[in-house]
Amino acid sequence: MSAITFTKVEKYYGTNRVVNNVSFEISNGKLFSLLGPSGCGKTTCLRMIAGLERNDQGTIQIGEEIVSDPINKKFVAPEYRCAGMVFQSYAVWPHMNIFDNIAYPLKIRKMPKNEIKERVTEILEIVELPGMDKRFPNTLSGGQQQRVALARGLVMKPKVLLLDEPLSNLDAKLREKMRADIRHIQTQVGITCVYVTHDQAEAFAISDQIAVMDKGEIVQTGTPDDIRNRPINAFVADFIR
Amino acid sequence: MQILILGISLLFLFVLCLYPFGTLIGKIIFGSENISLMDLFTNSSTLTAVLNTLIISLGTAFLSTIIALLLSWPLTRTDLPGKKILRSLFCLPYAIPPFIGAIAWIYLANPQTGIINKLLGYSVLNIYSYTGLIWAMSGFFYTYILLSLLSALDRMDSSLEEAARLSGAGPLKVFFHISLPLVFPSFLSGILLVILASAASFGIPALIGNPARIYMITTKIFTLQKMGTMNGIYSGATLSLLLLGIAIIVLVINAVLLKKKFQVISGKTARPSLISLGNYKWPLFIIICMMLFFLLFLPLLAIAISAFSKLQGDISLSNFTIDNFIRIFSEVEETPRALLNSLKLGFVAASVATILGLFLSYLEQKTKIKGRSLISIIVAFPYATPGTVIALALIITFSSNIMGIPISLYNTLTLIGLAYIAKYLNFAVRTTGDGLQQIHDCLHEAARISGADWWTSIKTIWIPILTPSLVASFFLVFMPTFSELTMTILLTGPGLETLGTLLFQLQEYSDISGGGAAVLALFIVLVIAIINYTVKLISKGKYGL
Repeated sequence: MSAITFTKVEKYYGTNRVVNNVSFEISNGKLFSLLGPSGCGKTTCLRMIAGLERNDQGTIQIGEEIVSDPINKKFVAPEYRCAGMVFQSYAVWPHMNIFDNIAYPLKIRKMPKNEIKERVTEILEIVELPGMDKRFPNTLSGGQQQRVALARGLVMKPKVLLLDEPLSNLDAKLREKMRADIRHIQTQVGITCVYVTHDQAEAFAISDQIAVMDKGEIVQTGTPDDIRNRPINAFVADFIR
Repeated sequence: MQILILGISLLFLFVLCLYPFGTLIGKIIFGSENISLMDLFTNSSTLTAVLNTLIISLGTAFLSTIIALLLSWPLTRTDLPGKKILRSLFCLPYAIPPFIGAIAWIYLANPQTGIINKLLGYSVLNIYSYTGLIWAMSGFFYTYILLSLLSALDRMDSSLEEAARLSGAGPLKVFFHISLPLVFPSFLSGILLVILASAASFGIPALIGNPARIYMITTKIFTLQKMGTMNGIYSGATLSLLLLGIAIIVLVINAVLLKKKFQVISGKTARPSLISLGNYKWPLFIIICMMLFFLLFLPLLAIAISAFSKLQGDISLSNFTIDNFIRIFSEVEETPRALLNSLKLGFVAASVATILGLFLSYLEQKTKIKGRSLISIIVAFPYATPGTVIALALIITFSSNIMGIPISLYNTLTLIGLAYIAKYLNFAVRTTGDGLQQIHDCLHEAARISGADWWTSIKTIWIPILTPSLVASFFLVFMPTFSELTMTILLTGPGLETLGTLLFQLQEYSDISGGGAAVLALFIVLVIAIINYTVKLISKGKYGL
């Protein structure tokens, strides 16, 4: 069984086709990267999984459920997709403390208070921010804020975790540590991840599978080794160099 | 040359924006004029005016908040049809003088002759009441909250809301849990501005409140000042300190609030995904259009009907006439004079404010003079100060002698013009300042190296680049001054009619049953709408509503 399936997905902005006939399957528990230059459609693909954008053609499936199928007028709103997401700009809410930020998805689901507390404490341990629950986001570093965002994305035990260039706002040294930590947490929790990046080194270091995209299309899909050793054409060879 | 021009600008700033208020406060509190502060403030009619002002401004703030809140979500976050046009129309009352709304609602809801009451067959609505006053004011002042909400919500990083969607919250929950708390400081500051604006407003309280015997501080001051004696002026001025007090309290709270603003503006301009309303799209659209009808179109329609009616309150076709226009524009002897005065005042005030604004924002941004950052604070002060206070401060400062020179400016167009410049200089400084910000120092340096002196560089490099901001600044000052009433009514005298005071006079006593005020109101709305959309076009949507 696969966790996420794209079948012939297309997306237009006006007459401009930004995602063109994209199909892929992501196996359960794997980390799948969408790699490509800016404007290649990778973030749009990620946002279509989340339900933040609607595809115009094709179907998107999360687990067993078809979440978007425009021909049959089927569209599941983002809040019902059970997908966690980590944004490039962290998107940690400045008016809530760390506990309230992370507890938000559980409060929305009306979970009992003591259980919420347990879950938040547990997830804070996992992202290595124990005891930070009373702090406010503006007292945290960028890396710490990103960990809060990661915790918030994971706390509701989502079906999938979506990461949109999560490291691009961090400095180089922190980036490598954070990259390793994300991979560690992902395998520890065993969650399916979609990871969007324009940095080939990042993609190679973290992924089980990589899809290289260009101009709205997937050019090549494979393991990091496949792509490194057998680039399918000049574009891929040039981009990963 | 440079020093001379900038020095004169600073002198102007001081004489217009600081000196009169110092004089006002000095003369009232430390002066020897025989006004007993205690007598005035313990007088029961004063206390009633203060109480009325509080009730009406808080009531207006409450109703305005509800209107603005209802509009803010559909106008920013959804795929509501015609959103762009709706936004512009809902914000338009910001530019229309409130006394026009007063006239409109008197035509609609006068207990005897109101159009709505006549249509319904019996007297349901009575505009001459607290509710009437609050309703008429809210129809204008909700725009203060709406504008601050719209701009704050537009600038918000959309991923903050998307993160909440993915956490499982529906669109409305996201709005109340995330968006609204994040823009709360701007929201609250909008509400405070409404309280201040309604406490300081004159047109609606005078036209609706006076016949209802509901007096506010501004209308009470007007009565005192119109007694024509120095004693009356000083009593009015003393009372105006109360308004100044309200203004200062509001501004201090506002300054504290703005410091608490969250930094939620994203660096990259993400394409925010709009919420699809689905089946609710058209029902919501109809509700919003009905709100627009009651807030904007119904009042404008009432004015149009009244302007074209022989007999007020009758809406049959046989009642149609253009006599009102003929009477106002060719028979009423004050009209040409008022029109000319308003054009003259608007033109001079807008030009002087724009030029002065340019030099002042140059001083603030491009020089290293100590205390330069005070300039924008100083010009913001008269803008936030109630018009009534400005008018009285100028009367007291410039009536007997000017800083030792024995010339009186009281009862001159000059004094009215100075009041306009003082009040709206803020617009000019901000707009020209935005323009200057676009010019990097190196452009100026390149011109200087090429052999241009300071003035030549200003003329050949700066002014051409700045033209759009200068034009916008001119019209942004021209619009409110063209039909100003609150200050003008206190500063006017025989032969000094303006469109605002003439309209007031027609409505209050000289043309009560004639629809003449409606003719002028229609004219003013038309001019303002044209200017507004011209400014919007020239500035590519940056200024204008």
